[in-house]
Formats: sequence, structure tokens, C-alpha cells
Amino acid sequence: MTDSPTAFRSARDSGYLLCSDCEKLHYLSQEGLHCDRCGARLHSRITNSMNISWACLIASILLFLPANLLPIMTFKTFGQGEPSTILGGVLHLLEEDMLIIGLVVLTASIVVPVLKMIALTILLCTVQFGLQTNLRQKTMMFRIVEWIGRWSMLDIFVIGILVALVQLGSIAHIEGNHGATAFAIVVLLTMFSAIAFDTRLIWDNGISDCPPDSTDHKDDQ
Amino acid sequence: MQGTPKHLIACHECDLLIERVVNQPDQDVVCPRCHARLYYTTLNSIERLLALSIAGLILFIPANLFPILSLHVFGQSQSEIILQSALSLYEGGLEVVALLILLFAIVVPLIQLIALFYISFTLHYRWEGRLLRQAMHSYQHLRGWGMLEIFLLGVLISIIKLKDIADLEIGLGLYSLAALIIVITLSGIFFNPHQIWHQIDLHRKQSRFYD
Repeated sequence: MTDSPTAFRSARDSGYLLCSDCEKLHYLSQEGLHCDRCGARLHSRITNSMNISWACLIASILLFLPANLLPIMTFKTFGQGEPSTILGGVLHLLEEDMLIIGLVVLTASIVVPVLKMIALTILLCTVQFGLQTNLRQKTMMFRIVEWIGRWSMLDIFVIGILVALVQLGSIAHIEGNHGATAFAIVVLLTMFSAIAFDTRLIWDNGISDCPPDSTDHKDDQ
Repeated sequence: MQGTPKHLIACHECDLLIERVVNQPDQDVVCPRCHARLYYTTLNSIERLLALSIAGLILFIPANLFPILSLHVFGQSQSEIILQSALSLYEGGLEVVALLILLFAIVVPLIQLIALFYISFTLHYRWEGRLLRQAMHSYQHLRGWGMLEIFLLGVLISIIKLKDIADLEIGLGLYSLAALIIVITLSGIFFNPHQIWHQIDLHRKQSRFYD
């Protein structure tokens, strides 16, 4: 029992694979079969990870343009009113001295999606070109991006609530426009891109950038 | 069906092969290379999940049936339940957005609560549980797709946007929604996939033994 795996070897290099659903360890030779504990199909890495992740990312970057250029909703009072874009809505909030709310919407609708796209591009390039720097930081970046990306749906929910609530005929009403569809699909695609991305690919290119034996579990006895 | 060495585990984020160590209940075991949390112990996980999923299923009803907000202007009023957001967008021609709101704010949270109830109920009362694996897969794959807390933030922003224009009244639905979000968040914390899969494994072996 004392033959501990020396230095840093991946499970795949040692002839094992991890079930992606229940995280039970299997032999690499069982790839393509079903996990005997949870029934999921066994894969050493997510199938077509890079292709799917790149495809979703590029599609989301392209759709980000119409999402920001097309109006997302129209607020009409007594028959008057103009459609507004995402940025227009944020500027309107800032003009009305609703600084904090304006910043929250700005962060969720523009800053987070842009940062997420940049982060995914960096991660995909890391794997694509076999870069070997700051792997731990990149893994951390992926965790943050994966968690925070869903908050971009905020503006979509706000539109949904406003459209449902402000339906007072000719006095005031709000309707949604197709910029909202584009934006919702942008968020959806970046989420798909993150799901398809396999963080293990970052570490697959051989040398690791931190010394072995820097074991972090304090409970080693 | 040969077993792999029990003393080895692999990191799910960087695929590092490491030796399993015994952890205290309050200690997380962390990957030495990428710092991902590998496994940990949750005390009374199943019982807590059972209580939380029942509470969640109960709270789901008022959160979806009672109005979240009501708006009063010039003697006219309009109230909104969560479903109304999806319906109004659908009628306004934004079918995709309507579908996403329906999924993320209603369908996904409901499926997750039902799955969680099924998992914790069958494991706690040692029922047969033919669908345990499917319930676990559904719950795990839907993690991150339930967005009620984002919906709640959207409600707060809508309140601030509309408060100068109209009279707003906060409905019972909003309080239920807030409570539901707390319950769902707690159940996410107590959901320990390693432990539950292990229990499901034991459960299946036992029921096969009694057959």
C-alpha cells in the first residue's frame, strides 16, 4: 500500500480514468463502457471538448454584436417611447442617479460576458498551443468564470418581469425586442462552452509548474 | 468486474493520480496540484437533504402561485407571478427568451427538488429506488442551470426601476421565493456527490442481496 504515485502523474498516464459523473476510478481499458456504479459512459476526457468549446465560444462572440446593437426592450408611455439597448439602459440608470443598480446591470450584462469570453479564449489557447504557464491560476480563473457566467441572465429576467408587470394598455407598456433573444443565446452559448471545456486538458501537456510534495491536505498522518 | 485499487483517487479537474487519505469530518481533501476540493464529509447529509427538499417542494407552490409584485397606476393594477414573465414574452414574440425563463426559473428548480426528494427519501427509508441513478444524473447535470437567485435580483432591480413611476406592492410570492432560494442554496451545500454515490452503491448491493 506504500507505493505512492511519485511526483505528478495523471490518472490517464498511469492507466486509469475517472468516471465523469460519480468520480469512481476505473481502468483506462474500460473507456467507452459504462460505469458500474452510476451507469454513465466512461471517458478519460470530455469527447470533442475543444471543438465544441471553441464553436460555442466563437458563436457567442459573433452574437454579442447584435445582442448589444439591437434594442432589448421598448418602454412606451401614452404611445411614446423609444427602444433601448443594453448599454442605453445602463446609461439611463446612471443618468437617473441610480448608480449602484446601474453598475450591477453593467457588470452582469457587459463586464461579465466580455471577461468570460476573454477567459475562455485564454484557456482554449492554453490547451491549443500547449502553453505551460500559470496553470493553477488558469484553473482558478475557469472556476470563477464558470460560476459567475450565469449571472449575465440578470437583464433577461429584468426584461421578463418588466414586460409582465407593465401592461397597462395605452398608459404604459413595455415590450421585449430581439436584442434580448440574441443576448440570452450569448449567455447560453458561453455556458455551453464552459461545460464542454475539460480542465484536465490544461494539465495534460507534461511538465507541471509547481514542485511535487507541496501537498496541501493537512490531514496527512 | 474487477475493482481498481481502493487507495487511489484521481482529481476531477486536473486528473492527478493521488493516494486516498483519511480525512476528519471537518477537513476537506484538496488536490495538491490544482487545489480542487476532492472529497469531504457531510454529517447527516441525507437527512438534511430530505428535510430541505420537502421544505423546498412546499415553498415552491406559494412562490409560483402568489404574485411576486403588484403594480398600481391610475386605478389600474397588474400583478405578476413567475410564469407570467415567460407568458408575456411568448405573447410578445420572444419565444426563445420565454422558454429560457420558463426553464431556468421554474422547470429546472422543480426537477432538482423532485430529484433531491427522491434520492434522500429512498436512501433514508431504504426503498427500492430503481431511478436513483437517473435522479442523481439529473440533479448533477442541472446544477448551475437553476437561476432563482438571479431572478430575485432581477425583481429587486425591477422594483427600483419602477418605484418612481408607479405604486408597487410586494406580494406573498416574493417572500416565498426568498425562502425557497435559501432552501435550495442550503441543499446545494449539503449535497455531497461522493458520499451519496457511495451510499447508492451500498444500497444497490444490499437490495440485490435481499432479492
